[in-house]
Amino acid sequence: MTSPAGHDLDQLLGMWARTHRLADADAERIRQAIVPEDLPLPATWWSDLNGRVSEAIARATAMPASAVAALT
Amino acid sequence: MTTSRDDAAVFTRLFDRHRHAVHAYFLGRVSDPELARDLVQETFLRAWRRLSEVGPLPDGQQRAWIFTVARNLAIDSHRTGAARRAAEDALRHEATTRETTVAGPHAQAELGERLARLELAIGQLPEDQRVVLSMTTVGGMTSRQIGEALGEPPGTVRYRLSQARRQLAAALDLEEDGA
Repeated sequence: MTSPAGHDLDQLLGMWARTHRLADADAERIRQAIVPEDLPLPATWWSDLNGRVSEAIARATAMPASAVAALT
Repeated sequence: MTTSRDDAAVFTRLFDRHRHAVHAYFLGRVSDPELARDLVQETFLRAWRRLSEVGPLPDGQQRAWIFTVARNLAIDSHRTGAARRAAEDALRHEATTRETTVAGPHAQAELGERLARLELAIGQLPEDQRVVLSMTTVGGMTSRQIGEALGEPPGTVRYRLSQARRQLAAALDLEEDGA
């Protein structure tokens, strides 16, 4: 139902909610206050990187199945 | 606690998933926006410190864990008594300073006045009604999600919301035909 001022309860509550919602900037300030800035890399960073590089090399140098099939 | 950038990424996902709900909950509990933000920070600080425990949980259990912490913090905050006093002050202040975006000075003043009345009326709702109202409107949560977070049946949440809307409608001289 619309009020004499032209705003129903849902509209007014919507405005109220928008003015009170946690702003992204405030959320980011909170997050930054909790999480330290200069965190170290994870302990497994070297083996993770090594694994990914090895996998990429293996993929890049593997002969395509169609080529293997043509040779046999 | 040894932490890494992986932990930070896990935490950020958790924070982004639950921050609006937690903030809306505190807003309903304490009404004071600044205090609500402080309590959000304290809640997530505890989640950060227990990240190895809470991080791997599925969404529903993660929400339950976070809201257990949030409820305890809200209780502690109420015990100090500062929350209630701050809420009253904040409501009076907020009511006079917020929302001024409609055409024409008369309409603007009228809308401002209605929002001030709404703010005041929300502040006067029973706390359990104010919490579900805030979690619905500010947090954008469903009654099922609110029920999970608060440990209440969804029907109870819907009933409280309906009661809150009825009281607000009466305070603003609006007709409310039920939620």
